[in-house]
Amino acid sequence: MSVPNPSVKVSCRGLWKIFGPRPELARERAEEGLDKAQILETTGHVIAVRDVSFHVEEGEIFVVMGLSGSGKSTLIRCICRLVEPTYGQILVDGQDVTAMDEGRLRELRRHRMSMVFQHFGLFPHRRVIDNVAFGLEIRGMAKEERYRRAREVLELVGLQGWELYYPQELSGGMQQRVGLARALAVDPAIMLFDEPFSALDPLIRREMQDELLKLQQVMHKTLIFITHDFLEAVKLGDRIAVMRDGELVQVGTPEEIVAHPVDEYVQAFTVDAPRAKVLDVASVMHPAAESGLPSNPAPYTVAPHTKLEKAIPLLVQEGRPLLVVNEQEHPVGYVDWKAVLTALGGA
Amino acid sequence: MVPTSSVSPPETPRRNTLLRYLAGFWALILASYALAWANVPLDRFPDTWYLGLREPIDAFQAWVIGHRATHPAFVYFFEPLSDAIDWALRGVEGQLLSLPWYVVVAFFFLVALHAGGLRTALVAGAMLLYMGLVGLWAESMQTLALMGVSVLLSLAVGMPLGIWAARDDRVDALLRPVLDTMQTMPAFVYLIPVLLFFGVARVPAAVATVIYALPPAIRLTNLGLRQVPRAALEAAESFGATPRQVLFKVQLPLAMPALMAGINQTIMMALGIVVIAALIGAGGLGREVLIALQRQQVGRGVEAGLAIVALAILLDRVGESLSRQVATLPGQRTRWRGFALLPQSWIRFAWARAIEEGLRRLGQGLLASARVLARLLGWPLGNQAQSYLVRHAYAVGSLALLLVLTGGGAVTGWRGFPPGWSLDLRTGVDAAVVWMRDNLYQLGDLPIGTGPLSDAITLYLIVPLRQALLRTPWPALVALAGLLGYRLGSWRLAWTGMGLLVGIGLLGMWDKGMDTLSQVLIAVLITVALGVPLGIWAGRSQWGHLILRPILDVLQTIPSFVFLVPVIMLFNVGRVPGIIASVLYALPPVVRLTDLGIRQVAHETLEAAVSFGSTSRQLLLKVQLPLAMPTILMGLNQTVMMVLAMVIIAGLVGGAGLGLEAVIGLAKNQTGRGVEAGLAIVFMAMWLDRLTQAWAERWKPPRGTA
Ligand SMILES: Nc1ncnc2c1ncn2[C@@H]1O[C@H](COP(=O)(O)OP(=O)(O)O)[C@@H](O)[C@H]1O
Ligand SMILES: [Mg+2]
Repeated sequence: MSVPNPSVKVSCRGLWKIFGPRPELARERAEEGLDKAQILETTGHVIAVRDVSFHVEEGEIFVVMGLSGSGKSTLIRCICRLVEPTYGQILVDGQDVTAMDEGRLRELRRHRMSMVFQHFGLFPHRRVIDNVAFGLEIRGMAKEERYRRAREVLELVGLQGWELYYPQELSGGMQQRVGLARALAVDPAIMLFDEPFSALDPLIRREMQDELLKLQQVMHKTLIFITHDFLEAVKLGDRIAVMRDGELVQVGTPEEIVAHPVDEYVQAFTVDAPRAKVLDVASVMHPAAESGLPSNPAPYTVAPHTKLEKAIPLLVQEGRPLLVVNEQEHPVGYVDWKAVLTALGGA
Repeated sequence: MVPTSSVSPPETPRRNTLLRYLAGFWALILASYALAWANVPLDRFPDTWYLGLREPIDAFQAWVIGHRATHPAFVYFFEPLSDAIDWALRGVEGQLLSLPWYVVVAFFFLVALHAGGLRTALVAGAMLLYMGLVGLWAESMQTLALMGVSVLLSLAVGMPLGIWAARDDRVDALLRPVLDTMQTMPAFVYLIPVLLFFGVARVPAAVATVIYALPPAIRLTNLGLRQVPRAALEAAESFGATPRQVLFKVQLPLAMPALMAGINQTIMMALGIVVIAALIGAGGLGREVLIALQRQQVGRGVEAGLAIVALAILLDRVGESLSRQVATLPGQRTRWRGFALLPQSWIRFAWARAIEEGLRRLGQGLLASARVLARLLGWPLGNQAQSYLVRHAYAVGSLALLLVLTGGGAVTGWRGFPPGWSLDLRTGVDAAVVWMRDNLYQLGDLPIGTGPLSDAITLYLIVPLRQALLRTPWPALVALAGLLGYRLGSWRLAWTGMGLLVGIGLLGMWDKGMDTLSQVLIAVLITVALGVPLGIWAGRSQWGHLILRPILDVLQTIPSFVFLVPVIMLFNVGRVPGIIASVLYALPPVVRLTDLGIRQVAHETLEAAVSFGSTSRQLLLKVQLPLAMPTILMGLNQTVMMVLAMVIIAGLVGGAGLGLEAVIGLAKNQTGRGVEAGLAIVFMAMWLDRLTQAWAERWKPPRGTA
């Protein structure tokens, strides 16, 4: 590898996780080109994560999505070694997590990384405040201090007043707020989310997503977020990685994925996406280099990153193609109805 | 969007027809008879195959007795251990007996009051009073001490082992078969080897109790820790908790309900062994029952038996309410108890409110005076100490009360249970026994009464079955065991069963074993014939459930041998009382599990059946019973094991067979004989246990793979 990019927070190189007694056999099969099902059939090994590499930049929300069973949970657990990776490297701030001994790993988990779980993973025998203070307690922080910090975080997630309740007395949404608060309390640089909102009602889910985005605006943490819901991925993700059968099939910004899915699997996810909200004009325009420019453009122009939902009213109003111009006001292409409709039709 | 592979049903295993088995079985029988007819002696297990375990064991015992004072194993291990246990037993017993009786009563009352409320406290008090009233205070305290020490030791050994097993799968895999085997073994089996190493008296009784009560302590600790949701463990780990922190901050607190259940079961197991422990000189209540059984003093036996039941109820109720308190997750517990003493629901009565108000004032007054007193002593109570006192007001108050009572006892010299307070049950019971013997044994010349019933069971069930088992050539029986094993389970089960049966023969216990087997089968048959219909009734009618539940609850807290006392007064000695007592003892699990099995059937399933127009009968036969079958068969398994546990006790009242052999071995200190009989019972237990479990397993609906 070349000189590490200082803004890369987490990176994964050639990561494999194979469940079974003799992973080397399964890996051989995999390198011969057999797929997950065939390998399970012939060797009884489950290839949960298959040769995955990616980088996550500092302050980024990196979303991993895929169908259930595609290896998302295993992947995210490998990052903090709740699941021991079989092959490959995981670097956090340039340090190899896979090479850490017990003590260093514990340090990493206590101070730099925390996780929010799909089914909350709260401790039913501890009051809300003791749940939130758990990570601090584990570090050995004194009671007064950790309670003070826990109260702060509870306020941040809007749960002040619930300190003395037990988690099971709270609604699902509130329980996940506790889970979030517990992860925030240790003030980690990196947060891992394993489908944190999947178990919640759609309305609550949306509320939590908004809240997470709002928090992120002030926190600027590095988030790795797992979901199987493409809308959620599009809404939260700066970049999205799509997984299938343990492999990353595509990594890119939401626009790239919606506009140019690499295969049918990825495209199937994008069908339900609110394309007008995701796609920008740059990804659907007729580039000037190929198609030239229209003879009678509308009097308005749009910037390349304008979302289609903003451009469509202008098209309606004018009935003429819109020029797309770059920062130097130089036209780079144009959009007309044909371009928009083709993109919205999911081509 | 995702390729789904087409689903074809996996091949179903071919079912072997019953007919083929039957044909095989008859062929074997005929072959054996043919051999017998050709003068090959097959009706008796060959004497020449006898292993002769008895002699080396007796020789070993003689060696042990000779070397007890000199051999290092004894000097440095068994004797010090024995001394330590003896010291603990004496200490606890001495304490219990030197405390004034009412302090003991008050202690249990206060604990029960705190844990379970006034009802539990009154029950606890009444149970202790009963022990004093029938003149068995000292014996009861002896038994209580034996139990207390044994249970503590069991937990001290069992819990760490359970924790270890929960954290290390290899340890678990190692322990599991051992515990499984231990749990199929009747209590007395442990007495024999223990006798060898610890001699006769209460120490071996305590050791045997500890070992016997160990499996639930280990098992439930293990289970409790393993049941802790993975999510909670994972979360703890993800925050960097050390294994130790995970154990103490997450696993143990969450495993508390199971731990408490384990403690409760450990106590009940320990109670189950007290009479048997009396066989080797443990003293206490068990000895009373034993003497009464041997001398056929029914009244005395009833008094002592009820004292054991009282002890069982006391420990069960207090233990259960304690565990319920710990087991309820904090969030579900009422966070505020308005009433300190009386049930909260009595709040509508003015007098109840007045009493509670008085108590509250009293508490405040005491606290205030403690504050004043402390200040006078120049030792003012800090805020922390005060809040501590307030939070633990109950414990502090109770302790103070107990101390005052003890002090009062020392001043007044009242200690033993007042002799003037007595409850005479035995005269009445003995009179009743005489009356029953005269009147119930047979009603005039009619064939009605316990006498004719006993005769009928003997004549039409026991004798024919025993004769059949003894007359059938032994290879045919062994083959039958194999066939049964194969049909219900696998080849492995078949070989195991055959091996175990042959083992009984090799121990020289074939005839006695068949005698016992016939009694066991009959007891199981009667139990099932009574229990399943009762269970169906309880499962299908709310009334049945309501009526049977309290009865079963009581039956289940009664240690096995206590059933013998009333039974011998009706049926005399012989094989029948043992069988009847076994039936009573083993009835609750069948009824309970049948009831449970039927109630577990999903409501939707029933609705579906009804919507197709099922009659109530069709509902039972086509839906409820088949679905309840695995649970009912689990009940059968428990029944068989309980009946087997009764075998030795039945031996005490003339049950003959292996039980009698074991009793004689124990009582006459003929260890070799006891070991042979004991092993034979263990073999039979292992065989029947596996067989019934395999049967239950077969009935389980196939599990989905999705
Ligand atoms: N402990 C395990 N042992 C064996 N197979 C596992 C284990 N955990 C997960 N798997 C398998 O690995 C694959 C990926 O699982 P997972 O990471 O949970 O997927 P996702 O979170 O995307 O639903 C699945 O096929 C699953 O069955
Ligand atoms: Mg998952």
